[in-house]
Amino acid sequence: MIQKMISKISLITVGMLLIGSQAFAQQKKADKATESWRYEIECVGIGQPGTKLIKVWSYSKSPKIAITQAKKNAVHGLIFKGYAGGAQGCSAQRPLTNDPSLEQQKADFFDPFFAEGGKYMKFVSVSGDGTPEPMKVGKEYKVGVVVSVMTDLLRKDLEEAGIIKGLSSGF
Amino acid sequence: MKKIISITLSFVLLSALAFGQAKKPTIMVVPSDNWCITNGFFLEFDNQGTKVKIPDYKRAFQENSDLNLVISSLNDMMSERGFPLKNMESAIKTLEAEAAENNMLTSKSGAGVSESPVDALKRVAKADIIMQLTWTVNTTGPKKSITFNLQGLDSYTDKQIAGAQGTGAPSFSAEIAVLLQEAVTTHIDNFNSKLQLHFEDMFANGREIIIRIKKFDSWSEDLESEFDGKELSAIIEDWMAANTVKGRFSTTDATENMMLFEQVRIPMFDDSGKAIDARGFAKNLQKFLKEPPYSITNKLMMKGLGQAVIVLGEK
Repeated sequence: MIQKMISKISLITVGMLLIGSQAFAQQKKADKATESWRYEIECVGIGQPGTKLIKVWSYSKSPKIAITQAKKNAVHGLIFKGYAGGAQGCSAQRPLTNDPSLEQQKADFFDPFFAEGGKYMKFVSVSGDGTPEPMKVGKEYKVGVVVSVMTDLLRKDLEEAGIIKGLSSGF
Repeated sequence: MKKIISITLSFVLLSALAFGQAKKPTIMVVPSDNWCITNGFFLEFDNQGTKVKIPDYKRAFQENSDLNLVISSLNDMMSERGFPLKNMESAIKTLEAEAAENNMLTSKSGAGVSESPVDALKRVAKADIIMQLTWTVNTTGPKKSITFNLQGLDSYTDKQIAGAQGTGAPSFSAEIAVLLQEAVTTHIDNFNSKLQLHFEDMFANGREIIIRIKKFDSWSEDLESEFDGKELSAIIEDWMAANTVKGRFSTTDATENMMLFEQVRIPMFDDSGKAIDARGFAKNLQKFLKEPPYSITNKLMMKGLGQAVIVLGEK
């Protein structure tokens, strides 16, 4: 009886570990996709002053991870990538930094910043304007999520941390 | 003893802070001539047979509340970025008050405040960088949209150093004021991003200024006069090459009576670490010309941070 229970528990543990490691691997893959710019950003409208309302298309085998990764991609994109217009009324937006190698130079700052549950979460929220749009592309999902990024707060935070220069720095 | 040390330390720190900061340019939002004339805010006069229209800024500020709203939104957003703007409406009022005070001011002996014609000419609202603002309201049936154009112009080099423009989404119901605020929100980040690039270039390659050399007609010599077998104009060019950042300047015009140097890149700080502008830079040239073997008396005039004029021959 006890032996049966032990084997059941160990089976459940192994199963959970497998699921956990698979989720971990998928998350890692999604992070890698972020680092290699494998996401798309488009503007969907004019947000409140100091915020940007954007739709982020992320890729993952799990639609759930693609949705959570959208927030990370949104912040990453606004810092390093910018976007080229979008819906009517939207104009192309330059990234917060003009230095293309900043992510590598300041890896000590950005690694924990973009880690799971990192500080990036402070500046982004999923907008109530639209539900996620999953699309099956080959073996993975491409999911579009509308998010709102508090760009003014993000910029101020990066300026205070000495990662990017403020408009009045040096004067 | 401890007190003396702490006072000395704080003095050193304060002076380091004061010297470490470059001279900050002033920025002012100005409605463009196009906007003023299109909206009827202009004065018209006859200039020897040609009708000339000039913008009437005072009336525009007094009568157009949309203009005040846009300027106030821009001021807010720039202040938030640590760059408060000079307010043109207030600058005009200050100038008027100052002119009235100057007219009334007399000493006990009855002397008035001296003002040359050049002083009077310079008494206008000005800033180092002008944010020139234009917008038009487009109407298609019941729908309205705003085309917005914001240009950052360097007052001295006349170059556009930043800009943001575009047409907003058409709307059936939104009021013009709401559409304008949306336009400001959409474009200000891009504008600032380009302005930042300009400032970064300024810190890397020096501030771009204009230097003019002129001569008073009472001076018997000119820029072709020779000193040790070299023409004065060539001597000045050599000085410019030695004192500009990476020797960068262009001699745009040169005659026996005048020289115009454009795209002159001057360092942001002098050798002692003190922040300098066009006047600080031109003062060194003035001193160089005053000293032997040239011994040329000259007069230095400035225009903001970026333009200096040296007139040779007299003070």
